[in-house]
Amino acid sequence: MQSGLLSSLIILPLIASIVILLLPESYKGSYRWIALIVQILLLINTGTLIGGFEANHTGYQFLEHFEWIRLTLGKTSILSIDYIVGIDGLSLSMVALSVVVFFVANISSFSINKKEKAYYSLFLLLTASVIGCFIAVDFFLFFIFFEFMLLPMYFLIGIWGGPNKAYASLKFIIYTLVGSVMILVVMIALAMSNVDEFFTSEYKRTVFSFDFRILSDQANLLKGSLLNIENPIKIFGVHARDFMFILLFIGFGIKLPMVPFHTWLPDAHVEAPTPISVVLAGILLKIGGYGLIRIAYGFFPDIAINYGLLISIMGLISILYGGFNALAQKDLKKLIAYSSVSHMGFVLLGIGAFNVEGFNGAIFQMFSHGLLSSMLFLIAGVLYERTKNREIENFKGLAKIMPIFTLMVAIAFFGSLGLPSLSGFIGEFFTLFGSFQATTVPKVIPILGVLGIVLSAIYLLWTFQKMFFGEFWTKEDFKNNLDDLNQKEIIMLGILSALTMLFGIFPNILFDLLNPTVIQFF
Amino acid sequence: MTELQEILASSKNILPEWLLIIGILLLVVIVSFQKDGSNWPYRFTFLLVLGYTFSATYFYENLPNDGIKLFGDLLILDKTSLFFKQLVALSTVVFLIHSRLFNYKFDGEIYFLVLCILLGLSFLAMTTHFLVMYVAIELVSISSYVLVATKNDKKNFEAAIKYLIFGAASSAIMLYGISLFYGIGHTLNFTDSVFLKSIAINSPLIIQIISFLFLAGLFFKIAAAPFHSWVPDVYEVTSTPIISFLSFAPKAVGILVVARVVNANFADLNMVLILIIFISLIIGNLAALWQTNLKRMLGYSGIAQAGFILIGVLKGPQTDFYGAFFYILTYLPITMGAFFLADILKKQAGSDEMEDFKGIGQKNIFLGLNAVIIMMALVGLPPTIGFMAKLMVFSSIINLGEAMHSSVYYGLLIFGLLNAAISIYYYLKVPYFMLITKSYNQARYNPDFFLTVVLTYFSITLVVFFLYPDFGTEWVRKVLF
Repeated sequence: MQSGLLSSLIILPLIASIVILLLPESYKGSYRWIALIVQILLLINTGTLIGGFEANHTGYQFLEHFEWIRLTLGKTSILSIDYIVGIDGLSLSMVALSVVVFFVANISSFSINKKEKAYYSLFLLLTASVIGCFIAVDFFLFFIFFEFMLLPMYFLIGIWGGPNKAYASLKFIIYTLVGSVMILVVMIALAMSNVDEFFTSEYKRTVFSFDFRILSDQANLLKGSLLNIENPIKIFGVHARDFMFILLFIGFGIKLPMVPFHTWLPDAHVEAPTPISVVLAGILLKIGGYGLIRIAYGFFPDIAINYGLLISIMGLISILYGGFNALAQKDLKKLIAYSSVSHMGFVLLGIGAFNVEGFNGAIFQMFSHGLLSSMLFLIAGVLYERTKNREIENFKGLAKIMPIFTLMVAIAFFGSLGLPSLSGFIGEFFTLFGSFQATTVPKVIPILGVLGIVLSAIYLLWTFQKMFFGEFWTKEDFKNNLDDLNQKEIIMLGILSALTMLFGIFPNILFDLLNPTVIQFF
Repeated sequence: MTELQEILASSKNILPEWLLIIGILLLVVIVSFQKDGSNWPYRFTFLLVLGYTFSATYFYENLPNDGIKLFGDLLILDKTSLFFKQLVALSTVVFLIHSRLFNYKFDGEIYFLVLCILLGLSFLAMTTHFLVMYVAIELVSISSYVLVATKNDKKNFEAAIKYLIFGAASSAIMLYGISLFYGIGHTLNFTDSVFLKSIAINSPLIIQIISFLFLAGLFFKIAAAPFHSWVPDVYEVTSTPIISFLSFAPKAVGILVVARVVNANFADLNMVLILIIFISLIIGNLAALWQTNLKRMLGYSGIAQAGFILIGVLKGPQTDFYGAFFYILTYLPITMGAFFLADILKKQAGSDEMEDFKGIGQKNIFLGLNAVIIMMALVGLPPTIGFMAKLMVFSSIINLGEAMHSSVYYGLLIFGLLNAAISIYYYLKVPYFMLITKSYNQARYNPDFFLTVVLTYFSITLVVFFLYPDFGTEWVRKVLF
C-alpha cells in the first residue's frame, strides 16, 4: 500500500517553504498563517497515521518505496539508494512529538517580526528535514535529512539569534558536522558490507544497499567484507565492528548531547530565539537518541551488548555533570539547557541497560523531555519577551502578578523533576528500573543516577522559590511589562501541559505503541 | 607498414588537435589584422573550441576498449583521454561564456594562450610517454605564466614570477626524474614491457624516490602541497574567468596522468600519495581558515580539493580510479560556479574581500541561496553533487582498507572527513557575510538579475546532478581504464 500519507509529512512543508519564498513581500502577513496551516495539516495527517497504525504489527508500516539512485560503483558493483519511508512504534512516537512541538514552535514564532519570509521558509525546511529523519527507512535518505537539518538551523540561530549568535551558530554546525562525518563513515562501511540478494541476482552485479531492513539483518553481510562478524580485520587495534559502533556512539552522542561533547548546546540555546530553542531541545536532541537506538543498536546488536557499561557510565556522567552545572547557572535559559543535558543522560542510561524496560523508558523519556523542555523554553521566552532579561536573581514574587504563568511553570518544573502523575516521572522511573535490572551494569550506577533527580529537584525548586514566591520585586522596573500570559501563550503552554499530564497518568498510550517495536531488539 | 604510412594514418586520428593548431595560427593572423577591442578573436575562439569539442566527441564513438596507439607509442587515444578532453573543452566554453557575460575585454593574446593550454592539455591527456608529457606540460605551464602576467599590475608580476620560479623548479625536478627513469628503464614510455621489466629488477625504494621526483611536476600542476606556494598569489590577482579555467583544466588532466602512472603499476606509490594527500589537506584547510579574500580562500580550498581527488587515485587490487574521475566531473560545475559567484560578488561589492559582501544576500535573496548551494557543494554536503563525489572517494578508500588490511587507510579516511568538517568554517563565511551580517551601505548594491539567473544554472546543475547522478556515473564507468 502506497498511500503517500507519510511522504506528505515531508512534501507539504517543503512545498510551503518554496511557496513562501516565491510570494512577494506584499503578502508578508500571510507567511505565518501558511506555515501554521501546514503544521495543522501535519497534525491531522499524523493523527490519521496513529489511527491506522496497527500496534501489534512488528516491522515498518505505511511503507512507501521508490527506486531512486542506482549508483554505479566501479565496474562490478552498484550502490542502490532508494526513497523508502515507513514507521514503526519508535518512529511514530517521534513523529507525533515532532508535529506537536513544531506546531507549538510555529505559534511561538508569531513574535518574530524580522525577515519573516526567510524565517518561515527556513522553519518549514527544518520541519521537513526533521520529520524526514524519523521516517526514513534508508540510511542514505536518513543521512541526507540529518545533514540537511544543519543549514536551516545554522541560519535560524545565526540570523535571528542573540548578541553572540555568530559564535554559537558556527559552534553548533561544526560540532554536529564532526558528528555526522563519523556517521558517514559507518554508513559507507555498512553499505559496502551489506548485499541486496534479490537485486544482485537481477542485475548480475553486486548490489549494495542502504535499506534499514537489509542492514539490520546480519544474514545479508557479504562474506569477507569489512563488517562481517567473522572478519578479523582490526582498525587501530579494535575490531572493525567495534570501531564502527564507537564512531556511531560519538556521532549521535554529540547530537544527544552527551558530556563531554555537550558544550555547543548551552551556547546554541542561549543565543537562539525562543521557538528555535523549543525545536532544538524538543526535537533535535531526540534524533541523537533515535539514531543510537535505530542505527547503533539496530545494526550492531552483537557489539552493543558489550558497551552497556560504557554507555551507562556516560549517561551517569551527563546526568550528574549537567545537574551540577544547572545548579550554578544564573541565566534561566542556561539552567534549562543544562537540565536538558542532565535529562538526556537518562536516555543514555536506559539505552545502556539494553533491556525492554530500559529501552521503553529511554524512548518515553525522550518523548516526555520533548514536551517538558519545550515548555521550559517557552517559559524562559515569556519572561525574555516581556523584560529582555533572563537572570534568575532579577525576579522575585512573580506569582503575585502572574498567576496563570506560575501555574504553567509549576507544571513544567514539577514535571521535569519527576513528580508522579506527570510524564517526567515515568521516563526517569523506567530508565532507572531498566538500569537496575541490567546484568551488565553495576547497581551503583542507577543508584547514583537517582541523585540526578534530587539535583533537578534542588535547582528547579530553588529557582521556583526565588523567582515566584515572596514579595514582588524586580531589579529594574519591569512591573508594567509583566502582564500575565496572553491567549497565544496559554494555548501553547496549555497544550503541552495537558499532554504532559495525559502521558503521566496514562503512559500505556505510548507504551502500547512502543512495545512491539522494542521487543524486536531483544 | 612503413613509418611514413604510420605517421599519416595516425595523423588522421588527431584531427581535433590539428584543428586546434591551425586555428591557433589563424587566430594570430586575425589578431594582428584586427583593431584592439574587436570581437572577432572571441568569436573565432568560441567557434574553434566548439569545433574541437564536436570533433573530439563525435568521431571516436567506436573506439576499442584499450584505445589505439598513435605515432608508435607516443600517444594513446582511449576513451579516458577523450573524456578528459571533453571536460577540458567544456571548461574552456564556460570560461568563454563567463568572460563575455562580465564584459571582460580580453586582448586576442589571451585567447591565443588559452588555446595553447587547451592544446597542451589535449596532448597531455593522451600520452604515457615521458617526453611528450614533458613537452605538453611545458606548453601548458609557459602559457599559464604569461596568462597570469598579462594584466599590467605590480601584484600580477609578482605572482607570475612566483609561478614561473616554482614551475621551473618543479619541471626541473620532473626532468631529473624522467632522465633517471630513462637510464634505468631504457625507454621513455612507462607502459612499455621493456620499461616494466627493467624497472622490476631495481630496488623498490629507488623507484619510489624517482617516481616522486617525476611526479613533482604533476603535483605542481594539480596544486597539491608541498608544490602549492604559487597558488594563493596567482589566484588572487588573475582575472576571475582565467583563474576559473586554470583551477579546473590543468588539475583534471594532471590527475589523469597521475592515475596513468599509478595504473602502470611499476612502483608502489601509495605511501608517496598518502603523504601528499595528508599535507595537501592540512595545509589547504588550515590556511584557508584564516583567509579574508574570497579568491585566495578558493585557492587554498583548491589545494585541499586536490588532496581529496588524489584519495581516489590510490592503488588497490581492484582500483579503477572511479572515485577520482567522478570527483573531477563534479568539480567542473562546482569550482567554476564558485568563481562565477566570486565575480558577481566582486561586481556588487567592489572587492574580493569577504567582509565587503555584508548584506548582499539580504538584498538579493536568490543570490544568497545560490551562494549557499555552491558553498555546500564545496564542503560536500547533501543535497548537492559534492556529497556524491566525496561519498565515492571515501567508499573507494574503505574498499582499499578492506583489501590491504591496513589501518593507514582508515586513518586517512577519518582524517579526510574531519578536514571536510573543518572546511565548513571557511566555506560558510561567504553565505555568513552575505546573509547574516548587516550591510553598512545599502545603496551600493544593485542586484544583477541576469547574472544571478546564469549562476542559478550552476546551482541547479549541482542539485539535479545529485538527484539523478546516473547520467554522470554511467559516463564515467564507460571511460575507466
